Amino acid sequence: MRGNLIVGLLLLIFSVVFWLGADAIPKSRLSGSVGADGLPKMLAIALGVLSAGLIAQTLLMMRTVSAAASVSREKKREELSLYLRGFGMVAIGAAYLALVSYLGYMLTIALLLLTVAIYNGKRPTVGALLFAVVGSVFFYLLFVQVLEVPLPAGFWPRLIG
Amino acid sequence: MEGLYYGWQAVTSMPVLLAAIGGVTWGILGGALPGISPSIAMALLLPFTYNLPPLVAVVLLAAVYVGAEYGGSIPAILIRTPGTNSAAATVIDGYEMQRQGRGGEALGLSLVGGTIGGLFGLILLSTLTEPLSSLALVFTPPAYFALGILGISIIGSLSEGALLKGLIAGVLGMMIATVGTDPISGVSRFTFGNPNLLEGIHFILIMLGVFAVAELMVQAGEERWTEGTKPVEGNTRLRLPSLSTLWRLRRAQGIGCVLGAVEGAIPGGGGSVAAFLSYNEARRWSKEPEKFGKGSEEGVIAPETANNVVSATAIVPTLSFGIPGSNSTAILLGGFLIHGLQPGPLLFTTNPEIVYGLFGGLFTANILMFLIGTVILTPCIWLVRRPKPYLMAAIFGLVVSGVYSIDHSLFDLGVVLIAGVVGFVMRKFGFPTLPLILGLVLGYMIESNYRRALLITNGDHMVFLQDGVSLGLLACAALIIGLSAWREIRRIRNPVKLEEAPAH
Repeated sequence: MRGNLIVGLLLLIFSVVFWLGADAIPKSRLSGSVGADGLPKMLAIALGVLSAGLIAQTLLMMRTVSAAASVSREKKREELSLYLRGFGMVAIGAAYLALVSYLGYMLTIALLLLTVAIYNGKRPTVGALLFAVVGSVFFYLLFVQVLEVPLPAGFWPRLIG
Repeated sequence: MEGLYYGWQAVTSMPVLLAAIGGVTWGILGGALPGISPSIAMALLLPFTYNLPPLVAVVLLAAVYVGAEYGGSIPAILIRTPGTNSAAATVIDGYEMQRQGRGGEALGLSLVGGTIGGLFGLILLSTLTEPLSSLALVFTPPAYFALGILGISIIGSLSEGALLKGLIAGVLGMMIATVGTDPISGVSRFTFGNPNLLEGIHFILIMLGVFAVAELMVQAGEERWTEGTKPVEGNTRLRLPSLSTLWRLRRAQGIGCVLGAVEGAIPGGGGSVAAFLSYNEARRWSKEPEKFGKGSEEGVIAPETANNVVSATAIVPTLSFGIPGSNSTAILLGGFLIHGLQPGPLLFTTNPEIVYGLFGGLFTANILMFLIGTVILTPCIWLVRRPKPYLMAAIFGLVVSGVYSIDHSLFDLGVVLIAGVVGFVMRKFGFPTLPLILGLVLGYMIESNYRRALLITNGDHMVFLQDGVSLGLLACAALIIGLSAWREIRRIRNPVKLEEAPAH
C-alpha cells in the first residue's frame, strides 16, 4: 500500500517535470496549430490526473484495509533482498556495458556468462568456466562471423597488430 | 484468388519456409523452458528480424508464437512445470498421464490437438480478417487517432483491479514515444542534446527490457531452480493418437476450438484463459467427467487445442485494427512496424502480399510444428534439464549481443537495461506492462493522426466528435473506462471478505 502511495507521488512529480520539459520544446512555424509540445503536454496532464487518482485510491484503500494485514519485518527484509538480487542482474549488465569496449566482446561475454551463472547459484567450478568459454565462442561465431555484427574488439587488435 | 496466390507463393518460398522452420523450432524450445514465455521467445528474436525481408520477419515471429504454445506443454506433462502460462491447464491431466506411464500419449495428444487448433484458428484468421479490411474506406485521421486511444483504453482497462495503473502504463508508453525528433516540425523533444535520442527510443529496446531483462531480474530473485528436474525415463517417447482416438475426443477438441476462437479475438483474453475455460467446459460436457484430474485424454487435448487456436485468432485484432491484445501479438505488431508496415484497415490494400503471405507462413508453421514436434522432444528434455543459472546466463548473453546487432550501439544496451528496471519495478508494484508497450507502439500513430486532423481543421478539436467513426470509437473508449472505473469503485466499497479456511 505504502509502495503504491510512493509510486503515485513520484509519478505526480514526474508529470510536472514532463510538462515543464514539454513547455521547453522550441516552437516551430512548421508545427501547425498544435505544436510539438501539444501531445506531450496532454500526456503530462493525463499522467498528473491518473497519478492523483492512484494516490486517492491508495489512501481510500488504506482506510478500508485493517492494520492486521501488515507484513512482518522479516518478510519485508526477505522481499527487499529479492528485489536487490534482481537489481544485481542489471548491475552485471551495466558492468558488461562499461567493459565491452575495452576488453572486447569475446572476453566480456565470457565474463558475463560466468558471472550470471555464479550469481544465480552455480558454483564456480571448471564446468562453469567451460560453459563460459564455450558460450563465448558460440556467441562470437554466431554474431561476429555468421551475422557479421561488428561487436567491439577491445584492446586485442592493438595487442596483436 | 489474389490472396491464394500470395499465400501459395509464401508456402513455396524457401526463405519463408526456413523462417517457419527456425521460428517453430525456437518457439518449441523457448516454450519448453519454464520462465520463457512466447512473448520473451519472440522478443529475443526481434533484433534479428531487422535485416530480414518483411514477410520473412513476420512469419518468423508468428512461427515462434505457434511453436511456443506447443512447447509449453512439454515440461507441463513431463515435469509438472508449465513452460508457458497457457500450458498450466495441461499440467492437471497431462502430468497425471505421465505418472501413469502414459506421458508419450499425453505429448501426442498435445501435439495433434495443437496442430488441429492452429489450423482451425488459421481458417478463422483468414476468413475474419479480410471483411474487416473493408473498414479502411471509412477511416480518416481522427478515426485513426480514436482507434489508438480505444486500443490503449481496452488494454488498460483489462488490468483487473488496476485500472489506474493500466492507464498510467499506457500514458507512460506514449510519453516514451514522444522522445526524439518531432515528425512534423523536425524539432527535438526530450533528447537532452544526446544524438542517440534524435531518432527516438526504439520500441524493440523497450520490449527486450520490459519482457526479457525484467523476467531475468524476477527469476534472479526467485527460488533457485532445482538442477536437472528429471522426467521419468521410458515415458517420454511421443505416441501419436490414432484416428479413432481423435474421433472419440472430437467434443473436447470442438470445445477447445470454439473457446479458443472467442478468447483469441478478445483483447487480453489470451491462451491461458482459453485453456482453462476449455478444460472446464470439456469436463462439463464429457461422458466421463470423473476421469478429469486422473489422467483424462480430454483434459489434455481440450486446453492444448484452445491455446493453439488462440495463437492464430489473437492475430485478428492486430491485423485488422492494428491493436494487439496480448504481449505476443504486440511483439508481432512490432515486427510489422520495424519494416514500415502499419497493421490496420489499410494493410490489406497496401500490402496484401504480406497479409496473405503471413497466412501461408502460418499454415506452413502449423504443419511444421507437427513434424518438428515429433522429433524435437529429446533436445527439449535435454534443455529443460539444464541448470537454470546456465539458461539465465545464455539468455542474458543473447539479449546483450542481440541488442548491439540492431544499431551497433552500446547506448541501446543502456536503454534496454533501464527498460528492464522499469519493467521490473512495474511488475513488483502491479502495473501491467502491455499498456506501456501498446502506448509506445501506437504513440506515433496516435500523435501523427491527431496533429494531421487538427492541421486540416485549423486546430478545431471538435473534428474528433464530428467524425462519426471517431465519435463512436471515443465513446466506446469512454464507456469501457467508465465501466471499469465503476467496477473498481464497487470493489473498493465492498471488498471481498475471504472466509477463514476450516482447520484440518
